[in-house]
Amino acid sequence: MEHTKKKTAFDRRKFLKGAAAAGAAVLGTTVAGRFIGGTGEVSACIRPPGALMEEEFLSACIRCGRCGDACPNQCIQPFTEETSAIHAMKPGRGQRNTPVIFPRQQACMLCGAVDSEYLLCTDACPTGALQKTKKEVEAIQDQVKMGLAVVDKQLCYSFNGASCGICVRACPFEGKALRAGMWEKPLVDPEYCVGCGLCERACVRYPQAIHVTPRGVFGEV
Amino acid sequence: MKFEIHKLQVLRRATQIGVLLLMLSVPAISRYGNYVAAYDIDGRLEDWKGTLAGTALTVIDGTFRKLPGGEVERVGEMVRSREGVLRYAQGIYGGPWSFEIAGVSMSDPLGAFESILARKHVAYVVAISLIIPIVLTLLFGRVFCSWICPMGLLLELTDKIRSILRFLEIRPRNVKFLRGTKYALLAVGLLLTTITAVPILGYAYPPAIINREGHDLIFNAFDRAETGLSGLSIAGLTWMSLILLAIVVFEVLVSRRWWCRYVCPGGGLYSIIGVARPIRVALVESKCTHCSDCVVACPLGLNPKNDQMGIECDNCGACISSCHDDALKYALPQWQACRKRK
Ligand code: SF4
Ligand code: SF4
Ligand code: SF4
Ligand code: SF4
Repeated sequence: MEHTKKKTAFDRRKFLKGAAAAGAAVLGTTVAGRFIGGTGEVSACIRPPGALMEEEFLSACIRCGRCGDACPNQCIQPFTEETSAIHAMKPGRGQRNTPVIFPRQQACMLCGAVDSEYLLCTDACPTGALQKTKKEVEAIQDQVKMGLAVVDKQLCYSFNGASCGICVRACPFEGKALRAGMWEKPLVDPEYCVGCGLCERACVRYPQAIHVTPRGVFGEV
Repeated sequence: MKFEIHKLQVLRRATQIGVLLLMLSVPAISRYGNYVAAYDIDGRLEDWKGTLAGTALTVIDGTFRKLPGGEVERVGEMVRSREGVLRYAQGIYGGPWSFEIAGVSMSDPLGAFESILARKHVAYVVAISLIIPIVLTLLFGRVFCSWICPMGLLLELTDKIRSILRFLEIRPRNVKFLRGTKYALLAVGLLLTTITAVPILGYAYPPAIINREGHDLIFNAFDRAETGLSGLSIAGLTWMSLILLAIVVFEVLVSRRWWCRYVCPGGGLYSIIGVARPIRVALVESKCTHCSDCVVACPLGLNPKNDQMGIECDNCGACISSCHDDALKYALPQWQACRKRK
């Protein structure tokens, strides 16, 4: 008896409850987009190799972390407040949990130490946010542009009377992307620099005198 | 039939737990690969002996070395093959949100659709990663929820807390909301994803959160080990774990399995994809005594005794094993027809 009564009388209450739940859900999604995904301006940051341009990258990437699992080099981190604070950065709108590289902490070695056909992170990505890149000089030169190394002549030892050149030795495209000039002065060729950050990682100066500037900061770079 | 169903339940629970363990071992395998790649593994195994990180590495190392090609002979002794173990370590990525093993890639359709809608472009790799999940869902319906999802497992276990509370005469409430909410949330979420061009549902979707938090927790354990600390620490988690906690607390105190029944956009999507599943729970009306045990058993709050599970049944089989009269079974219409013809 009560059962049937309930069935006919429920409508309004159930509808209101449902409407409240639906409202809460919509609010939830908005909050998710606005806050969970990060707020504020999009930070310029170094993405793993083969990444789409930032805006499209943020659309394609599902924040699954597979690229980070695949990296043999521990250089890909999720972009969160926790991981980025020591680098004086903060995930901006939609950037939380996206894969990011902090070269000074650990730079991308372009999968140099392992035997693989592709750059492993690009092979692991299920969405094409990182585009599959063959581990060959031409392919890397063609498809990888994580950023551009820039030397701070005020800080660099070689520009201040003490020949150093450590960074030049660290560059996987030594002689092309990073060349030693007079007194080992590091000279970057934007044409060849892929922005891997091995130079920044190797620099003996503190704070680092050579720094990879994320692409996008210099327009098309 | 009865016996087999119980076996199936055991298999299902084992799979759920296996998925959870596999998910937690992926980051450990990733670190193992890092140490092998850096020629550092023997040092780590030695230094971390007995700690959590060390034990994990030892187990992974032992397993990979036993697999074919994991060892090579050197001066009469079998030693680790760096290439061999690295190949295994590089064969497994991800978790329940998106997973790859031995080159087979699978993504949660929710994630894949979001990526496609946000980018407004169907990448080849996304399409490939959708095949297995979609085929399984077309055949079996929402089985991701009953066999794979770690949140499903967690909520099934917290269901037991509800029973304990009931036993203690503390009656947890069981508020019912509208089931349509999850479809509304799915639609609104996908729309916002398309407009904002950022896949936002994945941020609040439990399997994705658990996937990320699980990784964070284990990676943090290794970071701790690298700095001389041992064990797990909740410092490895982010505040997003609080979302999971909130879901669980609400489940225990307010509404049974509320997330999966009313809210989960992924569950909604799986339901829609599995709308025409051939394999479903069916009622043998002549045997049913209308005891309603199945109604109580159904974690999703459906009504098997009226044979009205609709699209939301996740084929978990809880109702079948609860039935004392053998009135419920999995119906495999086509297969049975074939057998009869023989
Ligand atoms: S190219 Fe290799 S080393 Fe560089 S980020 Fe990708 S996986 Fe890591
Ligand atoms: S593997 Fe691809 S989709 Fe996943 S987090 Fe990395 S870039 Fe994003
Ligand atoms: S200059 Fe620096 S960032 Fe550029 S390719 Fe060489 S090492 Fe990499
Ligand atoms: S390693 Fe640093 S200090 Fe030395 S040359 Fe390079 S940029 Fe200058």
